[in-house]
Amino acid sequence: MTKFYTPLLAAALLVTSPIGVQAEDWTPPGPITMYVGFAAGGGADTQARLIAQGIEETYGWTIIPQQLPGNSGLTLAAELAKAPADGTAFGMVVSETLTYSAQAAGDPALQLDKFTSLATTAEFQMGLVAMAGGTFDSWDKVTEAAAAGTPIRFATASDRQADMAWHLGQKAGIEFNIVEVRGGAGVMDGLRGGDVDIGWVAGAQSKSVQQGEMTNIARGIAAPLADSPDAPAITELGSDFYLDGYFMFIAPGGLDPAAREALGAAIRAVAEDAASEANALLIKGFGGPSVRIGADLDSYMAEADADAAELIKAVGE
Amino acid sequence: MSEMLHYVWLGVLSVFQGPALLELGGIGLPLALVMLVAGLVTGIAVGATPGLAGPMAMAISLPLLISAFGFTPDALLPVFGFLIGIMKGATLGGAVPAILFNLPGTPDAMMTTLDGFPMAQAGQPRRALRIAQLSSVAGDTFSDIVLFICAPFLAVMVEAYLDLPEKTALLILSISFIAAVMGSSVGKGLLSVSLGLVVAFIAAGTDLSPRLTLGIDALQTGVPLIAAVLGVLIVGEIFATLERLWHDNHALDVKAASDGSAEDGLQPGDIRRIAPYVGRGAVIGAAIGALPGVGSTLAATLSYTMAARRARRNPAAQPFGTGAPEGIAATEAANSAVSGANLIPVLSLGIPGNAAAVFLILAADSIGGFNPGPAVFSMPEGAINPQLVTVFGIFTLMSVGNLLNWVVGGGVMRAMGVLAKIPATRLLPVVLLVSLTAIYVQETSMFAIWATLAFGVLGWAMRKLAVPVLPFVIAFILAGPIERSAREAFSASGADPWFLFSSPTSVILLLLAVVALIFLGREK
Repeated sequence: MTKFYTPLLAAALLVTSPIGVQAEDWTPPGPITMYVGFAAGGGADTQARLIAQGIEETYGWTIIPQQLPGNSGLTLAAELAKAPADGTAFGMVVSETLTYSAQAAGDPALQLDKFTSLATTAEFQMGLVAMAGGTFDSWDKVTEAAAAGTPIRFATASDRQADMAWHLGQKAGIEFNIVEVRGGAGVMDGLRGGDVDIGWVAGAQSKSVQQGEMTNIARGIAAPLADSPDAPAITELGSDFYLDGYFMFIAPGGLDPAAREALGAAIRAVAEDAASEANALLIKGFGGPSVRIGADLDSYMAEADADAAELIKAVGE
Repeated sequence: MSEMLHYVWLGVLSVFQGPALLELGGIGLPLALVMLVAGLVTGIAVGATPGLAGPMAMAISLPLLISAFGFTPDALLPVFGFLIGIMKGATLGGAVPAILFNLPGTPDAMMTTLDGFPMAQAGQPRRALRIAQLSSVAGDTFSDIVLFICAPFLAVMVEAYLDLPEKTALLILSISFIAAVMGSSVGKGLLSVSLGLVVAFIAAGTDLSPRLTLGIDALQTGVPLIAAVLGVLIVGEIFATLERLWHDNHALDVKAASDGSAEDGLQPGDIRRIAPYVGRGAVIGAAIGALPGVGSTLAATLSYTMAARRARRNPAAQPFGTGAPEGIAATEAANSAVSGANLIPVLSLGIPGNAAAVFLILAADSIGGFNPGPAVFSMPEGAINPQLVTVFGIFTLMSVGNLLNWVVGGGVMRAMGVLAKIPATRLLPVVLLVSLTAIYVQETSMFAIWATLAFGVLGWAMRKLAVPVLPFVIAFILAGPIERSAREAFSASGADPWFLFSSPTSVILLLLAVVALIFLGREK
């Protein structure tokens, strides 16, 4: 009997709730291009691909991932700005792409208000990471080495991270050699290969920290890190700012609201579905899914945008 | 060590228990293996067809494979299976028209014609083909073993001993070496390398606005990799061949093949006769293959010349050039032994040494999840490095490919003899059309097509002016890594402008680059 009534019920619901209909009914007008603003093979890249895979499996939409890393996600933003705002193009960046990086670059066409925020997937588990058992595996060791005149190579994966490294160094009285590399995977490869000494990683370090290969010597976010609850916050080490943020999907500005709702809901469904591979990765490597969509996300982005302006001002002074 | 063995086992499993094409009686037929077999047959066919070559088939199939298998890590092994199959098949197939029609199917089979064709003319085509197969597969197998052993150790050494400035110096050495050894002169090699670098630097870099775009909108994201590589390497070659056919319509026609006599097939004692020549050829091929940029043609020439010299000293030996089995063996073992060893710098350093390697890197780059370089071989404590599993999956595919070449390669070779009769005037336009379609499938933009044709014209012009094209492609691929490592080395050294000269290792590598340019350059 249920088999007979369920479609009827669904049909009834569809007829009676016009707004729901729009989002439920929405299907992409063609294959979706998903740009990935991160280097291939890293944690963020895998996350984006698994979410795309989950959406394909659950909704039957075709999603073609395309790598577009560089310029802290602005390369992706520039490409996305040219794409149609009909839900057939979106991209994964971090929240700072449209806040800090966009402001720092200063291109009026690439500011936060020129894009539609779709959904966040995970909050940064931002740690200041070093090899466990190495010369720099605690903040004290870093400051001692710096006092002894040892140059310390600090890997960062974005301009904001580089500025935060500089800011932290200035407050702690250390002049770091700041090395910009490609993504969290680049930072970790650099640490393993001994090319750099410490570096920011926004979550991809989780597995290595759990297995004792690397260690979080400090945390960049307000809440304690899931893997290293004892790591001090950078604000305790002198920084005026946190280095927080989200991994998130964005779409071109003026996206059809039905498409925004449907895509946001699809991302949420996959990221929070305990049976999905994406969910497993988010739990294992990113401190669990943290999905924010719609007005809630817009208000967070506005706040982050204001914070970014302050950081830029502070570092500039 | 046991950890390493664990990875080997995982790699083998990733091939045999990977995604299955279909299930037969509950046992899945692994997709990667099916693709390997398909690639092998394609490769032998392509090698056996004069005017086509392995890299050409790899280039055309790559975009098609990617659109078929997608960009997931699951796609890596099937795609690599097919490409490796082509690579292995083509080295085998190149001997077919060389022996049967005195027409090398691939450039490195040139030396095979010298003894293979006379033997076939003397009524023993099957014997010649069999000797070619045995020598080729033996050389290939030896080379793969060298790869399996050397690549991990080289990668670990590089990661352990080379810091950022040394890595930059090593990349500079690689492109200098390639410029020095390829083509007719160092100047032309350097010209080719520089062109490749300039094109690759368009819209690259870390600046917030893309550089060198000349205000052209389509260049904002740089020149499409596949358009530049396929344009110069494949379309340029097609243009050059078409021009040759335009001047002489029968330039690539085949002469009639001779029939086998009663005494055809492998003769008793043949294997013992050729064994030492196969062994020496394999060592020469593997040694040359490990150096980036020095191709299989040089290995074949060197091995054949050395074998011929040895034969001249022995009055009892059959003179080379008259259908001596040793001649076929020396050539085929050496040119096949290049392919495996060529992957040593590819897998351990991310430096491609020949056209086939270029397409393997392109495949890894397009699919994602596998970035050839030292990090591939890291074994993080307690965790599984998926890239290392992929490497051993690739090694497994190579071993299975060799096994297949041993067992069925000969039969497929004989069957492919007929392909040499396809007229190039029909074949090349088809190849051109398929190439352009394949590029459109991957890039879905007409700009990519126009770019491909433009690079095709560049490739044609470079061939006309005897400027080697492979340094262009290799420099194009290495431009990103060079710039990135130089940038990182510069900032890690605290903005020291002399970072390249900061350690003895890096100075030695740079000196070697200069030495290569001065002493390896030669006028042909």
